[in-house]
Amino acid sequence: MKVTIIAAAAALFFLTEVYAVENIQSDERRGTAGADRTRAVALESGAQMKAYRVNPKGGGNLFNPAITLVLDFIYMDTNLSDEEYDAREIPGYRTLHDADGHGHGGFEEGFNLRGAELTLSAPVDPYFNLYATLTGTEEETVVEEASFVTTSLPAGLQVKGGKFRSAFGRFNAFHQHAWNFVDAPLPYRAFLGEEGLVEKGVQVTYLPDLPVYTLLGLEVLEGESEVLFGEEAESGAHAFTAFVKASSDFGEAGTLLAGFSVAGGRTKNGSIEHGSEFTGDSTLYGAEVTYKWKRSRRRSLLLQAEYLLRHQSGDYVEDAALPTAARRLERTQDGLYLQALYRTGRWGIGARYEVLDLFRDDFMEAGMKRDFGDRPERITAALEYRPTEFSRMRLQYNHDETARDGVDREVFFQFVFAIGAHGAHPF
Amino acid sequence: MKRRVLLWMILFLLLSAPASAGLNVVATLPWIGSIAREIGGDRVRVRVLVRPTQDAHYVEARPSMILAARRADLLMYNGLDLEAGYLPVLVESSRNPRIQPGMPGDVDCSRFVEVLQGDAATGRADRSMGDIHPLGNPHYHLSPKNIARVARGMADSLSAVDPGNRDLYMANLAAFERKLSQKLKQWSGAGLEGGRFVAYHRFFEYLAAEFGFHIVGYIEEKPGIPPSAAHIQEVMERMKEDGVTKILTTVYQVGREGRYVSERTGAELVVLPHDVGSMKGVDDWFGLIDRILEVLKGGTGGGR
Ligand SMILES: [Zn+2]
Repeated sequence: MKVTIIAAAAALFFLTEVYAVENIQSDERRGTAGADRTRAVALESGAQMKAYRVNPKGGGNLFNPAITLVLDFIYMDTNLSDEEYDAREIPGYRTLHDADGHGHGGFEEGFNLRGAELTLSAPVDPYFNLYATLTGTEEETVVEEASFVTTSLPAGLQVKGGKFRSAFGRFNAFHQHAWNFVDAPLPYRAFLGEEGLVEKGVQVTYLPDLPVYTLLGLEVLEGESEVLFGEEAESGAHAFTAFVKASSDFGEAGTLLAGFSVAGGRTKNGSIEHGSEFTGDSTLYGAEVTYKWKRSRRRSLLLQAEYLLRHQSGDYVEDAALPTAARRLERTQDGLYLQALYRTGRWGIGARYEVLDLFRDDFMEAGMKRDFGDRPERITAALEYRPTEFSRMRLQYNHDETARDGVDREVFFQFVFAIGAHGAHPF
Repeated sequence: MKRRVLLWMILFLLLSAPASAGLNVVATLPWIGSIAREIGGDRVRVRVLVRPTQDAHYVEARPSMILAARRADLLMYNGLDLEAGYLPVLVESSRNPRIQPGMPGDVDCSRFVEVLQGDAATGRADRSMGDIHPLGNPHYHLSPKNIARVARGMADSLSAVDPGNRDLYMANLAAFERKLSQKLKQWSGAGLEGGRFVAYHRFFEYLAAEFGFHIVGYIEEKPGIPPSAAHIQEVMERMKEDGVTKILTTVYQVGREGRYVSERTGAELVVLPHDVGSMKGVDDWFGLIDRILEVLKGGTGGGR
């Protein structure tokens, strides 16, 4: 309740702040008050500019949103049978399927239409930009993202709200088709699920005017992410994240980005083992480092690593269908991925190594440590071919030992195509 | 815990207090920075985002650029979608209300110029035609006529943001215009009228229009796409017919195809500076045009 009031007050503060900026600016510029003054100044100089304009097409049609459609089409082959593939899990971490037994976010042997993703974006007015991403699979169309972003707050502040991909970590904010490999890295898969942390909520970020790029952010989230939190953990928003990211250039072509993130909240879900239920608290810590070297359009190198550590404590029922007593569960587990991608001309080669149980593999049930066997690992190699910026083909091989015994070999052949507006790429 | 976060926030707010007088101008391309320095004089600190040797068509956003944009009083850019791959992200991530679309600090230099329609003229534009410029040819910076308009537009934009120094900007503009008219006299003797060249990309159209020479063919068939053998053959035949002896290209675009055509036809592959700073001695916009004309007139190619 208290939280709600604080949140409402903060929201009001930001709304009034949006309009206050207008006043301050116009006051500064022309010494007059009134929210309309800035617009008037802008229009005035716009009219002056128009006198020069000869190009009738310049500017495009500003009233239509920018529309982009991305098709993500994948052929997958594996040495496992369909049953084996669907029954896969990462013992000690999570099952990879829903309660109804269906593979979740996974692929089927053969052709897969992972999604046709439609993104629309445009300024709402001088104060907000709006983004919506609708992802259509064969079964359903879901609103993957629908959020507003402020543009006119003062002092390097920005508020984002709606449903969005959390800025936790490095990998999480990227859409599937923009990934450097077909699938999500193992630590993400283990701690956040294939979809990553996509939540309804509000994000506040702050970019201080420091000599080095430093971004600080806080998010209040609904906490519905199945693997980390679970919809029913608590009514109301029951999760948060906080993050800091810093970046610096090294020479003409190199850029380093590093960051720390934390996500936490109440958890109630059945993702640990099939049919189980866990109720308690979760905290996920993340450390990220990315180095990008881009000599020219033709040659670039990307090195990226992320380390995730999750701590959970609460009550655990192994089979929720039976009237057994809950046992205390404390687990502290971690994971790391390292990846490299080198591109030259239209070709790119990528390699990735992922591991869980790296430094911590504590799964303490009623004070007893459970041992699940060999350390889960995966090695990936990929070859990509990009005829233009708008089409991409990728051949990928996974040597997957995440089930702790046995090897799952997977081959993917992926096609990604984009049409419509030229989206600007984040770093 | 909460209190500590709050303290940190306050500390950062204090550290981030804006520094000092003068305007921060962020220019995407080196030539824009060069003109902005001429017009802004001592009143502006200019930060250029794109490296002089970089291909302006394919630039990626870097966090350091976002930080620069965050401090900008004015953001000056080429426009005509040349920066479409990174500028929208920079502007939004900058969290800077002064440079948002429609604000006085949002300075799209293409608003001031007369645009050659180029790709836009055909009436049809889609990506099967490669990375075309559907809003018209954006490489107007090699047009002295247009640069005069841009300089005036910049003076107006600076005055709109900083009305107290309007006189200074107008005086700098007048000085720039005097220098330009002198240079125009000097350049008018370039004697390029009727010359015939082949180029890699539709990069020198404005220069050709203003100095009376012709670009009779392009090595690239579709922008951003390697040319087909048939197209190369066609270009070489055209070169023979028209007696073309020079293939014009830029530092970032000296490709296999250009060298091949040069070897086959005996024409010289001339590497021209595409922007300020892309070659030694090309230190401002005047120097850029000086060097290009010098090379076209028959001097040897640039350094580097
Ligand atoms: Zn171009």
